[in-house]
Amino acid sequence: MHDKSIPFEATIRWIKKETRDTATYALKINSREIQRTYTFKPGQFNMLYIPGIGEAPISISSAPTDHEIMHTIRIAGDVTTYISRLNAGDVIGVRGPFGSSWPLEEIEDRDLMIIAGGVGIAPLRSVIRHILMSGGGKKSPSRTPIGKKFILYGAKTPKDMIFRDEFPRYMDAFQVFLTVDKADPEEYWRGEVGLITGLLNKVSFNPLNTVVFTCGPEVMMQSMTKDLILRGVPGEKIFISMERNMNCGMGVCGHCMFGPKFVCKDGPVFRFTDIEGFLGVKEI
Amino acid sequence: MTKAKIKKDHLKLIFDRLKTSHKIIGPKVEGNVIVLAKIADFHDIPAGYKEQQGRGTYRLGSGKEPQTFSFSVGPDSFKRFMSPPVRENFAFKKSKKGISINQNSSRVREISTAFIGMRACDIAALRLLDKVFLEGPVKDVGYDSLRRNSLIVGINCLYPGDNCFCSSMDAGPEIRDGFDMAVTELDDSFLLEIGTARGREILNGLPIDEVSDKDLSEKVSKIENCKKMIKKSIKVSELPYLIYRNLEHPRWADVAGRCLACGNCTQVCPTCFCNSSYDNLQLSGISKKLPELSGARIRTWDSCFSTNFARVHGGNFRPSRRARYRQWMSHKLAYWIDQFGSPGCVGCGRCITWCPVGIDITQELEALHAR
Repeated sequence: MHDKSIPFEATIRWIKKETRDTATYALKINSREIQRTYTFKPGQFNMLYIPGIGEAPISISSAPTDHEIMHTIRIAGDVTTYISRLNAGDVIGVRGPFGSSWPLEEIEDRDLMIIAGGVGIAPLRSVIRHILMSGGGKKSPSRTPIGKKFILYGAKTPKDMIFRDEFPRYMDAFQVFLTVDKADPEEYWRGEVGLITGLLNKVSFNPLNTVVFTCGPEVMMQSMTKDLILRGVPGEKIFISMERNMNCGMGVCGHCMFGPKFVCKDGPVFRFTDIEGFLGVKEI
Repeated sequence: MTKAKIKKDHLKLIFDRLKTSHKIIGPKVEGNVIVLAKIADFHDIPAGYKEQQGRGTYRLGSGKEPQTFSFSVGPDSFKRFMSPPVRENFAFKKSKKGISINQNSSRVREISTAFIGMRACDIAALRLLDKVFLEGPVKDVGYDSLRRNSLIVGINCLYPGDNCFCSSMDAGPEIRDGFDMAVTELDDSFLLEIGTARGREILNGLPIDEVSDKDLSEKVSKIENCKKMIKKSIKVSELPYLIYRNLEHPRWADVAGRCLACGNCTQVCPTCFCNSSYDNLQLSGISKKLPELSGARIRTWDSCFSTNFARVHGGNFRPSRRARYRQWMSHKLAYWIDQFGSPGCVGCGRCITWCPVGIDITQELEALHAR
C-alpha cells in the first residue's frame, strides 16, 4: 500500500471540456507500482495537489474499471483554477483514494434513483458508468440484478449541464429526467424547467423498493430527502454525499467535521439516518 | 520489582542516569510560567513552586513550599512534542519536466526523549492522541516515531490546580497506566512505581529501598486527599446527550458574546489535534537549470476558532463565533465519544486558566441544563 499522506505523481492524459467552467481530466498514475495497488470504489475522492498552490478534494467521476482515473472539476478556488490552465501531458500530485463509497450492495434487487444537482453528478457518474460497464445496460444481459433505474439531474441552465453528451448512453439502462433552473431561449431545450424536487412528480417509482443516491447542494439534498420520505422512501435507503473542507483525508486535521462525523473518512457518502440529526442544524 | 523507594536527595540520581541517554523534557520556569522545555540541570525543576490558577489567571508563587512537586500543570503538554506546532510533511520540486516529491525529508530521526514530571491528565491525553494519530485508517508516521522514542516519568498529583477536574474525567489525579515510571512524593521519600522494562532499567545500580505497606497506604491517602481538594467537576454520565439535545440552546449565543475566538483554549488543550497544511515556497529559478519552484509542505496547528477553519470554495460553514464555540465544546465533550469512544477532555483545566476572558468549560456545560 502506498502512503496516503504523501502525494504520488499522475499525468493528465486528456481533458474534455464539459461546460464553460467544468472539465473532465483523465489521469494516469506515473509509478507502475502505485498503478498496481491503487483501487477505488465509486463515491470516493482524491486530494489533487498542485505544489505551491495547495490541495483540493475532488471526487472520482470514472468507474473503477475505466482505464484512467477521471476527475470532473468545476473552477471554484485556487487549485481548481490552476488545474483549469493545465494541458494534457502535465503532471499533478494525487493522494487517495479517501472516504466511503456508494453502497452498491444496497441496490441489489432494488430500484435505484440517482439524484444529482450541478457538479454533484461527478461522483454519481462513477456509479452510472460502473452499472453500464458491468452489464446493467439494455444491450447486454444484466449481470447486476438491479430493478428500475432512474437519473434525476438538475443544473442552472442547459449549458451548465455536465455529461450532456453521455445521457443518450445512460438511457440504455436508466430513465433520465432533466431539469434546469432557467432555460436559455437561444437554445433548444426539451427537458423541464424548475426545481429538481418537481421532477419527482414525473417519475413513477415504488418508494418502498427504491434506494436513493444523491449528491448536490446541501439545501437541494435536504428538500429532496424530505420529499422522498413523505412519499414513503425509508430514510435508511437514502444515501447522501456531503461536502466539507477536507484537508488531510484521514480524519486527523479536523476541518471536515460534520457533527461527530469526519466527512473525509466516515463520509463523504452517508446513510441519511446516520446524519439526520445534524442536517438541519445551522452552522454545524 | 514493580515498586521501589528512593531518598528525597537521591531523585537527582535518576535524572542524571536519564541524562546520559536521553534528551530530557520537563517542567521549568520561563517567563514566570512553568512550561515544558529541555532541562539540562536537575535544579531547573521548579521544586517548591506553587502557582495560583483561576479563570483567565495564572500567577506563579515564590517556590518556598516544603514539597518538591507542589505545582500543577502549565500551558504545555505532550502535544507540543509529539505533534509539533510546525512540522514538515514532505519537500517538493517542480519544474517544466514535472514534479518530484521527497518524502524522506519528513522522516527525521529523533533521539530518545525522556519526559519527566508528566501528570496523569497529560498521560491520559497522550493516549487520546494515540487514538487520533495511530488508530485511524492511516497511521501518522511522524507522530509514531516521536511517540516510540519517548520515555515517560510521571508524577502523581497530590495538590490539584485550582481549575483541575481530572477526577470527573477519570483521567487522574493518579497515574494508572501508560508510564515507564510513576513517582509519588511521600513525606520522607519518593515512591517509584515501574510500568515497563525500560522504566526498571533506569534504576539499575541506584540506591533504592524496599517499599512497605505503610508507604503504599500513605500514597493512597495522599491521592484521596488530593481528590477531595479538586473543586470543579463535569457529570460525564450526561454526555454526549446533554450536548446533542441542546445544539440550539441560547447559552451558545451567550458564550459567543464573551468568547474572543482567539483559539488559546485549543492551543493549550492537550488533546486538540486539528491542523492545517500549506506549502512553504523557496524562491529559485534564477538559472534555467534550477527547478522552477521548490519548497516543503508544512503542517501547523490550527484551531476550530479560526475564521476560515470550515471554509470551502462556496462559503464558510461556521462564520459565527457561536457556531465555532459550539463546535469546540461539542467536539470535546460529545462528538469525541462517537469518534473515539471517550470524551476528548481530561479535565486538566488549561482552557479555563488560559482563556483571556475566563470562560469555564465546566460552567458552560452546566448552563445547558437551564431551560
